[in-house]
Amino acid sequence: MIDAHLLTSGIIFGLSLGSIFFLMTVGLSLCFGLMRIISLDQLLYYSLGAYVTYSISHATSYVWLGVLAGAVVGGLAAFAVERLLYRRIYERDITFSMITSFGMLIAGIGAIKYIWGLTPRPVSVPITAEVDILGTLVPIYRLVIIGAAFVVYAGIWLFLNRTMVGKAIRAGIENVEHVEGLGINVYRLFAVTFIIAGTLSALAGGLYAPLIMVDPQMGLDVLAFAFMVVIIGGLGSIKGTFVSAFLVGQVVSLGSLAYAPLAQMAPFAIMLVVLLVKPTGLYGSPLLKR
Amino acid sequence: MIQTSALSIRKLDKSYQGLRATRGVDLEVAPGERRLIIGPNGAGKTTLFNLIAGEIRPDTGSVALFGREITRLPSHRRVHLGLSRTYQIITLFPRDTLLRNVMLSLLGLSPLRWNPLLRLDRQRPLVERAERALARVGLAHMKHRPLVETSYGERRRVEIAMALAQNPRLLLLDEPFAGLSVDERREVKALLFAIPRDVTIVMIEHDMDVALDFAERISVMHFGAVAVDGTRAEVVADPRTREIYLGA
Repeated sequence: MIDAHLLTSGIIFGLSLGSIFFLMTVGLSLCFGLMRIISLDQLLYYSLGAYVTYSISHATSYVWLGVLAGAVVGGLAAFAVERLLYRRIYERDITFSMITSFGMLIAGIGAIKYIWGLTPRPVSVPITAEVDILGTLVPIYRLVIIGAAFVVYAGIWLFLNRTMVGKAIRAGIENVEHVEGLGINVYRLFAVTFIIAGTLSALAGGLYAPLIMVDPQMGLDVLAFAFMVVIIGGLGSIKGTFVSAFLVGQVVSLGSLAYAPLAQMAPFAIMLVVLLVKPTGLYGSPLLKR
Repeated sequence: MIQTSALSIRKLDKSYQGLRATRGVDLEVAPGERRLIIGPNGAGKTTLFNLIAGEIRPDTGSVALFGREITRLPSHRRVHLGLSRTYQIITLFPRDTLLRNVMLSLLGLSPLRWNPLLRLDRQRPLVERAERALARVGLAHMKHRPLVETSYGERRRVEIAMALAQNPRLLLLDEPFAGLSVDERREVKALLFAIPRDVTIVMIEHDMDVALDFAERISVMHFGAVAVDGTRAEVVADPRTREIYLGA
């Protein structure tokens, strides 16, 4: 029987981990939803966000400034990659983007090693206070991360449903030609989507940096989880990514409490079951080829 | 004085993996003209529409809109030059009301479209123009109804309203009567007849009864090429039309 305090802290840990998974993968999901590309380079912006957070917080002692700078750098890097690389391969087969973006991820990790070295880097936690929840002391910083994920989800929902650009992005997911028919430059929408995606991936890295040691492999370490989250939720579905990220977060957290090897194994088992029951994921639509 | 064509197509070729979808298509459409494009399935009509709208690029040949070369222009830029088209199935904003759908099509041509903080409902000029467009297609009374709750025929009219709201100079209609009931056909037909002559119309349509009524000139496509081109009477009388299209 799991102790109640352990359970409470496990749930909070799972929620914060799920929040990071959501922020880390929502860009991947957005890029697939609109552009039908597998943008594995999002994990590079995740790493980049963490490293910029490290550098800025180290130089200024302001972790939040580092997180903000990391998000901005991630967005700019994603924009540059979209302009220089993806614009040339949008029309190609989906596997082409997967291989290209994986190459970009590996090259980016190489650049990170060159700039910051191989030694893992620590980032101090900006909020060290704890709060009592059901008799268990919970770090407020983890609650902040959970709050950030909910704010981002609400923000994306409002953006996609309440603004013209967002509506065009959603319509573009269904039919690019019709959106062009409204007089809207779809390639500019692609660039906007990439900037948002890269910013959020980098934000995930920046927020997670104080809870881990920042190291060059951190993007590759979460690759399997990123895949699981978007596949379980349904590629291209923001709601699916949100639900799936918290599901995987809880499974990893509570699984490790029940039986340590479950933390690694259980998400794969869930993905297997979901794919058997619903091959498109929890909220995914059939893969349409443009 | 030589009048500039509304649409001028020269030697337009498009192949897909060796299969020639259009071959050497030549087409001249005069300003204000109502042109019908017919042909059996696979004749290349929709490919030609997509080439004109800029959704696909030709292998060779040229397209000019009111004398301006647009062959390499992206489709969204062509819309800004006055080229609008309708599709066989409208898929844009199903959860939004008819009014908002038309407003969004208007907004597509406005610099305001990139403003993420824009409150659509507060854009009075856009609201009024959208309301006028809906009134023009006889749907003003249901402007607040979500698109998803409308009939197929009503959606076709919304689509025409969205295209007309953009004040096009050239309107491409892709089978506007397909799937409509007899009453709906009558309504859409009246709507198309009411479009003023400053809008040139090129239409693909299979319903010959309605389309022949509407068109002044007809182009018959066969195996990707324009096989017969002329006035309604000339095309109907041409034996090649019977051979190609009517199968006689």
